[in-house]
This record gives sequence, C-alpha cells and structure tokens, in this order.
Amino acid sequence: MEQFIVNIIHRPEMVPEYAEKVTGQGKAEDIGRKALLTESLDIFKTQQDCAHRHGLKTTIQMTYASLFNDEAVALAKEHHERYGDEIALSLLGLPCEEFRKKYNTKDFCIWMFSMEDKKAIVRDVFGKFHDRFGFYPESTGSYYLDAELINFIKAEYPQVKCAVATCWEEGPKAYHTCNNSWYTLMDGGPWAPWIPSKQNTHAPAANAEEDSGIVAIPHLSRDLLACYDGNGSNFGTHPQNVLRGMIYDTSTWEFPYLYNLIDQYRALAKYNDGYAYNMMFVGPGWMNKMGRWEAPYELLLKSYEEGCAYYGELKRQGKLTDMTMSEFADYYRAKKGYTVPECALWRDILYGSKKQLFWYCDPYMRACVNMDQGGALVDLRPYVAKLEWPVGIGTKHVQDASYPFLIQEKYRAGYFTHYAGEGTVRSAKLRYRGEEVDLCLCRTKAHFEREGGERRLTLDPVTVEFDGLSVTLQTVIAFPEGESCIRYERRVLSMSDPDAQVQIDEYMVGCYGTTEYPEDMTSLTLRVDAGEDSVALPYEYKCREAGADGAARVSCDVPPIKTRVSMTCEGRQPRGYVREGYAFSPMFALGYTGTLREKEVFTTWLKLEKAD
Amino acid sequence: MAQAGKGRLNYRCPSCFMRDLDIDMFYDKERGEYYCLRCQYVGTEEDVLQKNEMARFRYRAMRKRFTDFEDFSD
Repeated sequence: MEQFIVNIIHRPEMVPEYAEKVTGQGKAEDIGRKALLTESLDIFKTQQDCAHRHGLKTTIQMTYASLFNDEAVALAKEHHERYGDEIALSLLGLPCEEFRKKYNTKDFCIWMFSMEDKKAIVRDVFGKFHDRFGFYPESTGSYYLDAELINFIKAEYPQVKCAVATCWEEGPKAYHTCNNSWYTLMDGGPWAPWIPSKQNTHAPAANAEEDSGIVAIPHLSRDLLACYDGNGSNFGTHPQNVLRGMIYDTSTWEFPYLYNLIDQYRALAKYNDGYAYNMMFVGPGWMNKMGRWEAPYELLLKSYEEGCAYYGELKRQGKLTDMTMSEFADYYRAKKGYTVPECALWRDILYGSKKQLFWYCDPYMRACVNMDQGGALVDLRPYVAKLEWPVGIGTKHVQDASYPFLIQEKYRAGYFTHYAGEGTVRSAKLRYRGEEVDLCLCRTKAHFEREGGERRLTLDPVTVEFDGLSVTLQTVIAFPEGESCIRYERRVLSMSDPDAQVQIDEYMVGCYGTTEYPEDMTSLTLRVDAGEDSVALPYEYKCREAGADGAARVSCDVPPIKTRVSMTCEGRQPRGYVREGYAFSPMFALGYTGTLREKEVFTTWLKLEKAD
Repeated sequence: MAQAGKGRLNYRCPSCFMRDLDIDMFYDKERGEYYCLRCQYVGTEEDVLQKNEMARFRYRAMRKRFTDFEDFSD
C-alpha cells in the first residue's frame, strides 16, 4: 500500500524574517518592539490552529528567541499534551535582543558562523531548551546544517534523530532573485529525505560508517522543474511561496498549482517502493498582518488555511499520514536502505509545456535527465567523492554550501551556446554522410521501471531524419543500485535503408563548480586508456584532442572536487576520445564514437569515483 | 516631503519580477506613482496590477488541475 507522509512544522519566531523589514519600514530597527513580538506569537497560534482544526499534528520548532517567552513555551507544552505535537528546536530564529547582546553579531544563519561559535550557540540553545522543557529535543534544523555541525550536534546530543538540513536548489538563483542579498547558497542536495553522510550533508551515506546518525528532511517540497529553472522560493509546498510567484487567480484567489504540486509528490510513491513525502514549513513572517508584497493578509491566511485543509482532507480519505519529525525519522530508518535511491519522474505542472525530467539521488550521485532533450543528462553531482566542504567563517566557503556539479546546464550552458564553445551536458550525436543530429533536439517522454536493483528509464523512440535515411532509435537509461554509474543504451529499432550504418558519438561535456562562473581547470587531467596507445593530457586550455581505437576507458580527474569521471563502451568500432577546452570554452569532453546498424545497440557507462 | 515610502501594499517591480528579481518598489506620494530602485519602471498602482497580470503569461497551466502526471494527452 502506498504511503504519503507529511511533516508540518511551525516555529514561533519572535522576530520573523521579513517582518521587521515590512512592519518597521520607516522606523529605526528595534527587534524588541512589543508589537512585533505579539504579532509573531499570534501568527504562530494561527498556524497551529489551522493545522489542528484540520486534524493534523505538527512539529513545533522552538526558536532561541521563543525560549525566553513564557507564553510560547506554555503553548508548546499544551499542544504537545493535547494534539501530540512534537516539541523540537530550530536553529533558525536566533535573532533577538538576548542573542545579539551575547554574541555581538547580526548573523543568524547557523552554518555561516565559525565552528567555535556554532558549538557555543548549539550548547547555549540546547541548554536553554532543556532548562525550559526538562529534556533535549529529538529534532532540529535550519535552512542548512553543514556536516561538521551535524556531527557535533549528534555527538553532544545523541537523541537528535531528525533535522531540516537543506533547501533544494536554493543557491545562485535565489541569490539573484533577491538582488544578490540572500546568501543561502546550497544547491545540489536531495529534494526528499535522506541520511546525510558524516563528510558532506548533501551527499547521502552509503553505509553505517558514513551515517551521520540523523535523518535529514529538506526545507519544503519543491517543484522539481520550476525550481530547477527559476526562483526556488516561488514553487514549493509553502502556500505563501506560491503567492510570491503570483501563481494564483487574482479574481478568485484560487491556486490549484499548490494542489498539483502536492499531488505530484504523492505520485512519486510509484517510483519509490510505495513511499512519498511532503513537508510544509512556513515562517511566521509570511503571514504578516501587513500583507506580504502584493498579497493582503486575508489572502495569506486563506492560502495557509486551505493548504492545511487539503492535507487534512487527504488524511480523512486515508491518503496521507501526518507525522512529527521524530516519528518520521523512525519510519524512514525502517523503510530505506542506504543504497536505495530516491527517484522522481517529474512533469511540468505550471507552464503548459509537457516537459519531463527524471531526478535520481543515491549515495554516489544526484542526476537529472531531461526528456525534452532526448534523455540528456543535464545536472550531475558526484556524491561519491563525499567531498569535505566546511562552511562558515574561518573556512574557504563562508557562504557557499552547494555540492559542486560536473554538469549543470543552466549555470554552465547545456546543448545551446552562443556563437562558440560547448556547454555541459551528456548526450549523443548521430552522423550520416556529413549530416549531424544531436539527440538533445529530439523531444521525447520516459517510462520508469525497476528490475531488481536497477532503476530504468525507457524513452519513447525518436526518428532522426537525414537526407536519404530515417533512423528510429530508442534510448534506455539505467541506474544500477550501488554501482555509481549510469548506463546509456542506444538501440536502432529500424532504418529506412536496412543496409545503412550511422556513426554515433556518445559524449559528455563537463566542468566543475557551484556557480555560473568558470573555475581554474589547470589541475584536471584527461586520459585515454588504450594499452600502449594510452594518453594523459594535463589541462592547459590548448584545445587539444586525443583518442584511440578500442580504448578501454576515457576519463577526467577533477582534483578540486576529488572526482574521477569516466566512460566505457560496448558497441561496433568504438573509439574513445578526450578533448581539452580553451579559454572561451573552459570545459572538458569525454566520449566514444562507433557505428550502428539496424537492430544494433551501442552502450556506454558513465562512472563516478572518488579520486584523492 | 522628499523621501518616498512604502505604499498601501508592498508592491514589487513587475518588470524585474519578469526577469526573476523580487525588488520592493517605493511610492512617491507627490507623483502618485511607484518606482523601482533597480530598473527604470515607474507606474501607478493600476499599472502595477495590470503588469502583474501580464507577468503570469508564462503560467499557462496555472488554472489547470492535473490528475495523472504521466498522461501527456491534451
């Protein structure tokens, strides 16, 4: 039986993000204003009431500021007793007079503090929580929790088993949307719950040794197509984010998109052994009495009320199970093995395009396949490296917590580039008598299946038209569990001339980074493994190419992200090649060419390994 | 009064919104218009609301309810 779980989380944030900026416009900053504190608590009460009236239990994430407020503490205790809500502790909501006096800073994102400060703050906040409730929390979180911080929390407070640990694809796009003033740079993580590794929060643990000891949940369940392309904060299970995106009818105040989003998440159970997940986590600043941007308070309230009503109705129909965070952690531990991937075949539910993506996440990689580009791989994060990437003051990455990519079609171009050069993508080209067609230009749809440990996409066949030859080709993309590789099979189903043969060029163009901007490529080495014909090409921006017939493997070592990416091949007349980029195209390419005849298959494996 | 403030509601610049930028606008009471600090957009409340409707042009399925996420027929 399929099970759809929801976590509804509320935080009594006494100085909500946004609220001081909105309600305090034209006044000197005063985060201790009584009006602000009263309104904040009122919003929390309203949110709790919405959930409870619709029969839903919540996780109350107490903030540091709320631990100084007797009414907030009393409410949490009462709701725990009456509704079964979990009393947890958030590391969001640090700002308050007490915090500022003690730490002499306006920083409020826990992952950006120095490790010394992180430890002091965690001890302070957890200690204060214990003082007020007489126990330590089992759940915690922030927008992001770095691995060092999770490891510290788990060591000091071993009862913690669940945490909100990242916002999916909240990175440079969110930063730009906020006029480059919102520093939550944390792209490249899982979109659904996972067990973080001890080395890197984004990368799931592959085994008990790597297990950080907690179950992580993402901050919101986000649209896996809209958020990948646009501002993440418009397209999630946060009703006011949907309003932020203006995705509602202004005459009726209806917003079916929110329900489509929830329902598409429900539908993901089909690809994940009958399990699907949602979380809703709305900070009180989003239900400000003054309204938020062009949305008046009445609309903000309506959206939250109706969001809760929808979850409540699903529960009444037996289609949803509401859990607290700690209950969910127990459920997840019982349900998922370390190497079991999370899969999401996802369609456009907003723009009317029929575009379809497939997202795959396991301890070795996160990958995105775009069916609108013939099944091209358009995003690839090599989790296998378990990259140690400390963040915060005193590290090399004060703000940038993103897991680096090898392929990212939005930041580092995909198939299409302007005038010159190449963009990052893994696709294939077919050639016949001087004509060339990239499968990126063959739009199709995928069908998911699981066979043993292998998750597989079978794409609808596409017909490529050359002058004098039609080739009908089918792509099958497989993700064998635990093998850190992706297998691409190209099958020629038919040709208009059964005796013809076409050339195939299976390629990957890659680079590395976390943003749109190029990185130094000079530490990379490209290799062709072909016995005596083997070649190693240190990257010098010289636009060189090397190759060998029958090459056993082609690869690139990317030391800055401790990753080796390689390709191997099975097919007719294979020739492996590597290609260095140049200053205007700072990429590398790996690939195999070969030939295909009717009914033949050309198979390549893209493998990711840790390379120290 | 020389300085601008916020209006009745806190409108964002519709022109910037269409390029995925959320920028609060400020209101010039004397001229009765909102203006953007980042780009060159200036408009009355009526114009802002009209442009916000225009910004929704890309949400072609905004009013549609989906029931089968693998059904691509119209």
